[in-house]
Amino acid sequence: MTSKTTPAKNVIVRMYNVGFGDSFLLFFPAPDGRTRKVLIDCGVHMASTNKKALGMKEAVAQIIADATDPDGVPRLDVVIATHRHRDHVHAFEKPEWEEVEVKEVWMPWTEHPTNPKAKEIRDSQSKAASRVKKAAEKKFQMSVTAAERKEAEKAMILASNNLVNKKAMAMLHAGFSSQKTFGKRRYLPERAGGESFESPALPGVTVHAIGPSHDPKVISSMENDSEFYHLMMTHFDSSEMKTQPFRSEWRIPRRQFNANAKYKHLALSENEIKAVSEFNSVDAFGAAAKVEGAVNGTSLMLMFEIGSAFLLFPGDAQWGTWEAAMENEKWAALLEKTTFYKIGHHGSHNATPVKFVEEILHKGIWALACTGPTAAWTDIIPRPKLMKKLREKSKKVVRSDKADVPDPTTRDFKREEDNLYVEVEVRI
Amino acid sequence: MKENIYARMQPERRPLRIFAFDPMPGRAPDQMLWRASDNRITIDVVNEEQLAAGPQGARIEVVDYDGPNDCYYTPVNLNDPALLMQDGLEPSESDPRFHQQMAYAVAMRVLENFDQALGRKLRFRRNFKSRRLRIFPHAFYGANAFYDPQQVALFFGYFQAEKENPGPNLPGQTVFTCLSHDIIAHEMTHALVDRLRRYFKEPSNVDVPAFHEGFSDIVAIFQHFSFPAILRLLIQESQTNLRQSAPLIQLAQQFGYATGRGTGLRSALEKEKPDPNLYQTVTEPHNRGSILVAAVFDAFFMTYQRRIKDLIRIATGGTGRLPEGDLHPDLVNRIAQEATQTAQSTLTMCIRAFEYLPPVDITFGDYLRALVTADLEISPADEFCERAAMIEAFRIRGIYPDNVTSLAEESLLWERVEEKWDDFPDTLNAWMRDQTIIDAQAFSRNAPLPRYNFPDVAKQFATWARKNASRLNLDPSLAINPLGFHPSFRVGPQGQLLVEMVMQFVQTEERTRTDDEFGGVPFRGGTTVITSADNTIRYIISKPLASKGLSKDKQAEARLRREKQLKFVERSDIYDTALVWYDQKHYQTRMAQRMNFAAMHRRIHP
Repeated sequence: MTSKTTPAKNVIVRMYNVGFGDSFLLFFPAPDGRTRKVLIDCGVHMASTNKKALGMKEAVAQIIADATDPDGVPRLDVVIATHRHRDHVHAFEKPEWEEVEVKEVWMPWTEHPTNPKAKEIRDSQSKAASRVKKAAEKKFQMSVTAAERKEAEKAMILASNNLVNKKAMAMLHAGFSSQKTFGKRRYLPERAGGESFESPALPGVTVHAIGPSHDPKVISSMENDSEFYHLMMTHFDSSEMKTQPFRSEWRIPRRQFNANAKYKHLALSENEIKAVSEFNSVDAFGAAAKVEGAVNGTSLMLMFEIGSAFLLFPGDAQWGTWEAAMENEKWAALLEKTTFYKIGHHGSHNATPVKFVEEILHKGIWALACTGPTAAWTDIIPRPKLMKKLREKSKKVVRSDKADVPDPTTRDFKREEDNLYVEVEVRI
Repeated sequence: MKENIYARMQPERRPLRIFAFDPMPGRAPDQMLWRASDNRITIDVVNEEQLAAGPQGARIEVVDYDGPNDCYYTPVNLNDPALLMQDGLEPSESDPRFHQQMAYAVAMRVLENFDQALGRKLRFRRNFKSRRLRIFPHAFYGANAFYDPQQVALFFGYFQAEKENPGPNLPGQTVFTCLSHDIIAHEMTHALVDRLRRYFKEPSNVDVPAFHEGFSDIVAIFQHFSFPAILRLLIQESQTNLRQSAPLIQLAQQFGYATGRGTGLRSALEKEKPDPNLYQTVTEPHNRGSILVAAVFDAFFMTYQRRIKDLIRIATGGTGRLPEGDLHPDLVNRIAQEATQTAQSTLTMCIRAFEYLPPVDITFGDYLRALVTADLEISPADEFCERAAMIEAFRIRGIYPDNVTSLAEESLLWERVEEKWDDFPDTLNAWMRDQTIIDAQAFSRNAPLPRYNFPDVAKQFATWARKNASRLNLDPSLAINPLGFHPSFRVGPQGQLLVEMVMQFVQTEERTRTDDEFGGVPFRGGTTVITSADNTIRYIISKPLASKGLSKDKQAEARLRREKQLKFVERSDIYDTALVWYDQKHYQTRMAQRMNFAAMHRRIHP
């Protein structure tokens, strides 16, 4: 295998075992003989429970070490944050990145600092996330049974993945070393339908920015995006929940009402009272799951083309982005050429369309899932059915957290001794 | 001296005051014509002599329990002489008793519209003890309201208006959904649709939830037209072009503004020209339902224009161009009458179609067929071309029924059978005769509601259906669930009485109840049978299961429908980005959850 000092012949993809999160370091051969390094995401979800995984601190140290050139300076040609979720950007809050020379930083167009449409999407998503988090915390405090507590906890974990990680985002937007000389930011795709380009930071590689769409509906996979946020506003502002709609003279306490013979025909039973009060608890968990999905929808979907290698990194893109890609003639043709697939959203059900696996993907390609056990979703993500379908398509399906070797005869695969990362070679 | 019988007679109607729309009109700057008093109108509902405090009547009861504050509010007693003298309480946002009165009055109005159109009095089945639908005007905190089928109750929320951009509302003011005529009518219609077709709350195809929403909006919108004073005002304001009258065509304006939309919650009109693509692409139930609403409203408007054409000709000396400025009040009056009658006739047509719907898996196309068939039965002449307008309005929105070769009226009709079946058991014949008399009596004033002797008769109906399974497009190897059988009385425009018997049977492919692929909404089939008073089978309206006894075509149709349902599950799943975080238990019932009205509210799935 290629080490970081000897020039690469093929593309090397290194997947770090960060637990339930994403982190990939790519080594590209270049015409000038100097290997180019691209980091895609670095973060872990609050829900991750993999004790054997790299902690964020260790992960950062490892990546910086792997990116350090013989002159002792850590250099990354491109850093890519697919979307702003904690499990993709968390590690960028570490100050160690200040030492790393970065030529370009790529983010989805929704991160554009001055584009008003981007700002609107960011604002409504983060506002919703913080409201849901508050509602979940309140639910947690008020929960009586263990089941209620667990439900509220799940909602809190989910909601916190969506909170804005200001430090990490600041690093991505304005941090890293040698800001003045390099540090170009690209917000992709720049055009509504996506684009293909070559970057001076990555000579010899054609980059195809397929998604996210510029249409908010496609991004959130919701037909009525604004409707969703409207309801969010009125339901989840917990500070407003204590409202007395009428003057006290109209109020009759429950006991007094039940005891009044005049009103006997209207008195509710205990069970009926309980049923009514259930409608008063907001479903923080469901709302958190919705926001999570909407932020995933802003994921960058990229294809790197070099020689005969086509590496597809869809981030956590949801059905909306996939559908738009598969319906676009140019992108559909490109997807068919995939020789390496980063399994979307840690292997969940709607981040990899069935049609893509069954009809578009070729046999025998590499498919890597950066994933791991979680507080409540171990049996659901990665989705067993999806993994099985992928394995039917190819023997080269790899998980970051499992010590499985896809095909013992393959020489393009390496697992680090302590399982800190796995590495595959994609032929160009 | 013997008392005169007229002196003892109870009044027929009970006048009650309500907000015509919601508390907002009169506050909005674009409605300078409005005085606050214009918005306070008196409507009348049937006088229930036994009306108790609540109000609690024979079919509806208002229980004003406030969930978040765990207290009741003083129930209104509408038989209090002080209130009887002044048409109930004065409209007021701060008196909960007025809220109870308005919820009761509007809900009763909806109920009466259904009674009249269907020719029978619907009752609810809350439990063994009670046959009343419950209304909670202040059940929870939140910008929503919903019908809960488990409790057979309507729940209304209250909330504070947006602090930024609340429209004509005060920032942060409390907004009551139970003071919106449209929201009450909408939720009440959900309850009635569920009462008439309980399986329409199973989302077996993309049209089912959309139908529930769209139909509820239709009833809410057409009820606007039954308030003459308001109508006159709006005809004057819009120079007879009711399409441009925001209060009439927008739903729940205060709610819309209070939640920061800057407009009503929904509208009966499309923003642009009707687009047949929408029906192919829009899936969100409320938005898809709006296509249905737009079609029906469009048909109404065409008929309305046809009906006032002569009046406009008279008023303009034949030019058809109305002069600028105010119209003559007599003209406004006459036009308002036409608008009311057209609206009532459209609404009746829409509700009446229910008897001709299959018991499961409705599509908009089925609804069009039912509309056309039901209307043809009662009014073959189509004097004002209402039916033709309806077909045209559906056509330009790309709504075509399956298995129909053209959109000509005769091909849209459900297939006529017209066969006399002589194997109907005598006991059932006798029961149906009795029932017809009982139901007819129910229409006399203040008659007690009839009670049916259900279980025995149900069994006999099922036995009969099993014997005739293949003729009824049912599968004899599966259980047949008789859902309902009732007579219906209708009077046509020429005064002719039409008495029909309606029966519904439902079957379920058992395996699909627990099949993950179906997600908790099993694959069902069913048949609605319409017979005339002399036991002649007139229509067999069915959604068959693939039974071996059926024709090849019917079997193919069934298989296609099953495939369609599975595709709908698949499609709903890939769009449901939240699904990935739910556990297996939720996964197994995910389709059923997607149309649980209460859960839709809790899951803020608007």
